Amino acid sequence: MSTSVPQTGTSGPPGPAGTTPVLELRDVAVHFGGVKAVDGISLQLESGLIYGIIGPNGSGKSTLIAAVTRLTPLTRGELLLDGRPVHDVAASRLAGLGVARTFQTVRLLPDLTVRANVQIGADARSGDEAQQRRGPAGWLRPRAASPAVAEAVARTRLEGFEDHYPSELSYGTQRRVEIARAIAMGPRLLLLDEPTAGMNQTERAEISALMRSMRTDGLCQLLVEHDVQMMIDTCDYVFAMNSGRLIAQGAPADVVQDPAVQEAYLGRKWRDHARSE
Amino acid sequence: MSDFFSSNLVLVQSTLSGLILALSIQVPLRMGVFSFAGAGSYGIGAYAAGILVLRYEFGALTAIALTVVGTAVIGFLLGAVISKLNGLYLAMATVAFDLIISVVAINGGELTGASTGLFGILTDFTMTQMVALTVAALALVAMSEVGRLGRRVDTVRDDPELAASMGINVRRYRLAAFVVSGALGGLAGAMNVLVRSTVGPLDIGFGLIVLALTMIIVGGSRSWKGALIGAVIFTWLPDLLTVIGEWQELVYGVIVAIAAILLPRGIYGVLQDGWRWAQRTRRDRRAAARGGPVVDDDGGLRPQEDEAAVLAAQAADQPHRELDQLSSRPQGAS
Repeated sequence: MSTSVPQTGTSGPPGPAGTTPVLELRDVAVHFGGVKAVDGISLQLESGLIYGIIGPNGSGKSTLIAAVTRLTPLTRGELLLDGRPVHDVAASRLAGLGVARTFQTVRLLPDLTVRANVQIGADARSGDEAQQRRGPAGWLRPRAASPAVAEAVARTRLEGFEDHYPSELSYGTQRRVEIARAIAMGPRLLLLDEPTAGMNQTERAEISALMRSMRTDGLCQLLVEHDVQMMIDTCDYVFAMNSGRLIAQGAPADVVQDPAVQEAYLGRKWRDHARSE
Repeated sequence: MSDFFSSNLVLVQSTLSGLILALSIQVPLRMGVFSFAGAGSYGIGAYAAGILVLRYEFGALTAIALTVVGTAVIGFLLGAVISKLNGLYLAMATVAFDLIISVVAINGGELTGASTGLFGILTDFTMTQMVALTVAALALVAMSEVGRLGRRVDTVRDDPELAASMGINVRRYRLAAFVVSGALGGLAGAMNVLVRSTVGPLDIGFGLIVLALTMIIVGGSRSWKGALIGAVIFTWLPDLLTVIGEWQELVYGVIVAIAAILLPRGIYGVLQDGWRWAQRTRRDRRAAARGGPVVDDDGGLRPQEDEAAVLAAQAADQPHRELDQLSSRPQGAS
């Protein structure tokens, strides 16, 4: 069953005893003037699990991701990565600490090939450049893809597209390149902001399967999506947000049946209609 | 060849110094930094090298080395102050910096030669040394366009937020753009004054920004190759157009206007597009022969073996299954 969420205290599924959460948020708030985009969120994410965030448009899901990745400053609260405070760390240092993300819209570099776009992610992985430059004059071979790129391309089924430019790809394929770029970073925490937007059902199922396959690697994943069925099929645990606050959390199938969640999505009037039928 | 080189020595020298000047503006633009401080650094470099040789009797290469280090430091200090500005505001701040350098040159008294400038800056600086320094600078700039550094520069320019997420310290790159721009501008100014033996207030200032921008807009703003193309065209074109007398300014202006309108990525951009088109054609031919990715109806590309499955899935595809579809929405509810 889903649980109603207190607005203070930490939320999240219990991890193995004695383990440190990969990510912990303590009373995180992001206010833009008088607008409380995120208002007092506390939660914990454990390794090897897939978490989801659902909520209507404007509920603060993407702002929360931006706050976690330090692209948006916190108004208050604390962020802990593997128990280490990171709320004062620059966004550019988080990649080195194992945090990768995709964005709500496709953000590929148009003048670079798929291989080079994915390589940008691998570049953030420490030591990857050294692998690339192995051997004399290795730096003179910029087209040689690193093992991390080859692996990310294979996992996202992008073989054959490596030399294409983003403008030559369908929208769904571009989104897969974004995911490949994030995977190439070798993250411990992967944040996916509506990764399947614009994809058809087959492509969505592929992304869901990809995410589940990465769970076995110990990767902690946080997925923001509107496709609730995909959330049910993919996630181990779901948080529901509305107006910048957590309104429910728990097993995905339970959360989507939570009256507070249905009301947030549909409004009280539609919810009552739905129940009466 | 040797006769041609000797009779056009001044044009060759102008091409090299013009190329480095253009790079001093192009390098920050490639990082998305709208800085024209390279023109100011050119002015500082020209006067500093002239003063070091004329007043303190330094050798040519020592004067150039000191000048380049000095303009790089000035670039760093300038960047530390204004690198947080963006777009038009940053451009205006750097134009102001350039104008300040011109004012200082005119009002510098005996040190800068005031409105008449400096004359008789004679050194043993050779054409070979000038070519070597230019090639060395070009090689360093070219290295910043390939591999990891090239990708990172592209990311900083196209999407600073993405760059930060990819572990790139955007502020450091922007600051580096000012330093490199300062060093290149200083090098261009120093080399030019040492081959010309004179510099005056009319040789620096706003006209340098126009010249450098013209070179990189027409040649291409994303690569040193574009700057090279632009430097060759706009150094040699005025000389070739002398046959049409007073009309040459008009022809010059029309070429710039046509390039700006029809070639937004410059001549090098057109060459690049042509190369990519040829690559794509060759690749698609190979792919079709072996059953690899092909162009689909909407212009996207998909692996051939998946084509039937993708089309079937699209036909059966449902709209996004959002939460409202899990409950039965009442007819007519609004």
